[in-house]
Amino acid sequence: MSGTARLSDLAIQVGQTRWAMVRTHFGIQAFGVNAYVADEAGGVVIGEHDELGKAAGGHEELYFVANGHARFTVNGDEIDAPAGTFVFVRDPAAKRRALAEEAGTTVLIVGGKPGEAFTQSPWERQAPALIHFGTKEYDKAIRALEKLLAENPDDAAVLFNLACAESLSGKGQEAFGHLRRSVELDPDFRELAKTDSDFDPIRDDPEFASAIAGQPDAGSSSA
Amino acid sequence: MSEKAYEVAHIDDLDRFPVDNEELLWRPVRRKLGITAFGTNAYTAEKGHERVVEEHYERDGAEELYFVATGRARFTLGDEEIDAPAGTFVYAEPETKRGAIAAEPKTTVVAFGAKPGVPHEISGWEEMFVAFGHLHNGHEDEGRKAMAAAIAARPDEWQGHFNAACFESLTGNRDATFEHLRRAIELDPKAAEFAQNDSDFDWLHDDPEFPA
Repeated sequence: MSGTARLSDLAIQVGQTRWAMVRTHFGIQAFGVNAYVADEAGGVVIGEHDELGKAAGGHEELYFVANGHARFTVNGDEIDAPAGTFVFVRDPAAKRRALAEEAGTTVLIVGGKPGEAFTQSPWERQAPALIHFGTKEYDKAIRALEKLLAENPDDAAVLFNLACAESLSGKGQEAFGHLRRSVELDPDFRELAKTDSDFDPIRDDPEFASAIAGQPDAGSSSA
Repeated sequence: MSEKAYEVAHIDDLDRFPVDNEELLWRPVRRKLGITAFGTNAYTAEKGHERVVEEHYERDGAEELYFVATGRARFTLGDEEIDAPAGTFVYAEPETKRGAIAAEPKTTVVAFGAKPGVPHEISGWEEMFVAFGHLHNGHEDEGRKAMAAAIAARPDEWQGHFNAACFESLTGNRDATFEHLRRAIELDPKAAEFAQNDSDFDWLHDDPEFPA
């Protein structure tokens, strides 16, 4: 429903950045909106990404520097962006990031996919769960991801992140099962698992290699 | 790809188009940057008492999010009056009446909007606002070009021809006014009723050839 909110009231701490889930707060369905605040100069205000990854929405993105002073890098080009600057990245393949030049630098992001009705990006759906990785509260992450998995049991990305949280919280057996299922559903997660440090605690276990090879669980009766 | 991967603009570089009698100053963002997936505009009040959001509904179904970028605004949202300093978001569902007046000098409000469940379509009113904005700024020829572009984009919609008639009437061109008005009425007879009540045509209402 219609309403108002102050950006400062919405922003929650995620690592060194504060994140305001604006779209989620208001229940906006037509476009994506988030805001990020870097409390210290030199901090990352927009992490490097493109809009082509599995978790991305393929959006064109409009960034607006609402406060402070940011320095954007888009496809290697440096862009000086004081408060009041709009940076519009239309190419989903463009690598972009922004650092804060001043403490308190705040950047709004609005996104959508041209020619298509807006749908929530996979990363945003999982984001409330993934926040707990930043605070090392892996049990909370597991509970939140299990809830998402119950809604969609074949979501390979949720299975993968759940395996990450389980690996980091010492629940190796659960991690192998979820990782194996994730790779079965989407083989691209095999390569990700090889380099993701979240699996370092279980990487040397022979069952890890078996899980990412897509081989059936030794204890499973299914073919 | 031929298009650039990105565009950059500072809010001070945006066009400034007056659009009503309450000193609402429209600063097109979507149009400047070539955004196609959602609408974006900014509105600036230099003095501090001007309108920064037109009082309106979005009955075609668009959701709108306003962000007070600088200064301070007083929003109306439904029956509520809201004090909105810089850093405030105001979200309005389509059926909620909304509007805002600046409460401080150099107040800027940025508005984002789109309809849920459908691909975004660029609003037809943008080029008409540009046309009248140029006219208010004393650039009649540029305004006429923008109006022609608006009609060319939607040649079979009466609103473009009606607004072109208003434009020609305001610039003293009787024959061109009548030509556009006849076409508007041909496309939708209700244009005649609007024309009778529109003060843009006051100097022509008693003309025996006035089409409405």
